Amino acid sequence: MEPQQVDTLTGVLDKKMTRQLKQYLDICARCAICKDACHQYVATGDLTYLPARRAELIRQIYKKYFTKTGEFVPALYEARDPDESLLDELYESTYACTGCRRCMYYCPFSIDTAWILSVAKAILIAADRGNEMLGQLADAALMKSDNFDMFRDIILDGFKDIEGKVKEMTGDPSAEIPVDKEGADVLYVALAGAHSILPAAAIFHEAGTNWTLSMFESANYGYFFGDAEKARRIADRFMDEAKRLGVKEVVITECGHAYRVAQFFHEAWSGEKHPFKVRHILEVIDEYIRDGRITVRHGAITEPVTYHDPCQVGRNGGIFEQPRDIVRAIASDFRDMTPNREEQWCCGGGGGLVAIAEMEDFRLKSGAKKLEQVKATGARIIASPCENCRLQLEGLNDQLDLGLTVKPVMDLVVDAMEIRR
Amino acid sequence: MSEDIKVDLELDLKGLLCPMPMVKVSQKIGDVPVGGVIRAVATDPGSMADIPAWAKSTGNEVLSAGKEGDEYVFLVKRAK
Repeated sequence: MEPQQVDTLTGVLDKKMTRQLKQYLDICARCAICKDACHQYVATGDLTYLPARRAELIRQIYKKYFTKTGEFVPALYEARDPDESLLDELYESTYACTGCRRCMYYCPFSIDTAWILSVAKAILIAADRGNEMLGQLADAALMKSDNFDMFRDIILDGFKDIEGKVKEMTGDPSAEIPVDKEGADVLYVALAGAHSILPAAAIFHEAGTNWTLSMFESANYGYFFGDAEKARRIADRFMDEAKRLGVKEVVITECGHAYRVAQFFHEAWSGEKHPFKVRHILEVIDEYIRDGRITVRHGAITEPVTYHDPCQVGRNGGIFEQPRDIVRAIASDFRDMTPNREEQWCCGGGGGLVAIAEMEDFRLKSGAKKLEQVKATGARIIASPCENCRLQLEGLNDQLDLGLTVKPVMDLVVDAMEIRR
Repeated sequence: MSEDIKVDLELDLKGLLCPMPMVKVSQKIGDVPVGGVIRAVATDPGSMADIPAWAKSTGNEVLSAGKEGDEYVFLVKRAK
């Protein structure tokens, strides 16, 4: 590797070098407790996926360029230059990680390997080694907003198609999908697909919410790609819309990483405090049920139902009880997985892996612990509020012909919702 | 127009939820030669914006995109 490129890559690490990152890189004791926490390592036994090993690749560069001992006696301190073989290893271990942070939960020092890997992605992007598919999807999202005049009518036509189905679902010809509505209380940020708009529209209509639908989807492949600037710009699309419309809160659909970006990252990225609240749609629906704004029929589902905590909603988002309360209000036989909540196993579908074709076999193999958990419950229905999780769970279900039904929590609510006139 | 165009690959994306139709087109574009055409059929209305946005950002070309009944039909040409 040319010295100039080494300078570029170590410059990225230098720019990202906070006290927190330095502590993560200094403190690992190699106890390897993280190996038993990672669904990918447990399923494959491959050291590439051992969390401490993933972080070790960045640690080796750090030792060479940021410590005197590593600089002068690299062999003794396992310090290393960022050569092509290191970048090959880094790519494989970094873009395979779902960012579930289960390793951090079990680490005695709470080392955030996902944080270290966000630095690894920045280095890979600087070396023009970012994942091509994730980069394309991030660019496509920005293409829509940067050329909005070209896409506006297409997007609105799609919403009109969905609006007709909302009228059918609610039995109310006045039911609508409001768009660009100034003075709305809620800006709902869905995915591009009808499946994430339709049930929410029916629920907002039934609850009598003064809402409006964002013109932009919440999914953020810039985050998965690892480019913080693109990720911020993708989230800016609906955050700016929320400010312009003067809403009181932004409600994110059943999408794990989108919720985490909106709730925990965007203010730091943009340097501005949001003049509105950010909530996950299941927090809102739980409130509607508790306040009697919508009514769901208990026992509407009699088959055993389990709930999968998406890592970005649960362990990394802090939302555990509201989804369970909703499912329990509907299903007469709710069966939690073991372990659950903070200790829930990652299903293997996060991190953008569902979009990376060459990782499909590995991704499905990495779902082994999740499959064990699901089978142990005896559930026939799995509810989960994350698109990536559902795609992975459906993939596992199809691969093994398990006959399970994988559903968004919102769909259970709509099926059990009593429509009032 | 579409009857005159040779299709190199048919993609059935019916039932896939956005953004997966765009993801599948992106994954498969390399399976046709440069200048080759994919005919993709999706059912999610979000694909009407997603697929053209992906094509424009990657330098590929959407020859046509339209609704036929409940389906969204795309002809996508690999440009490079």
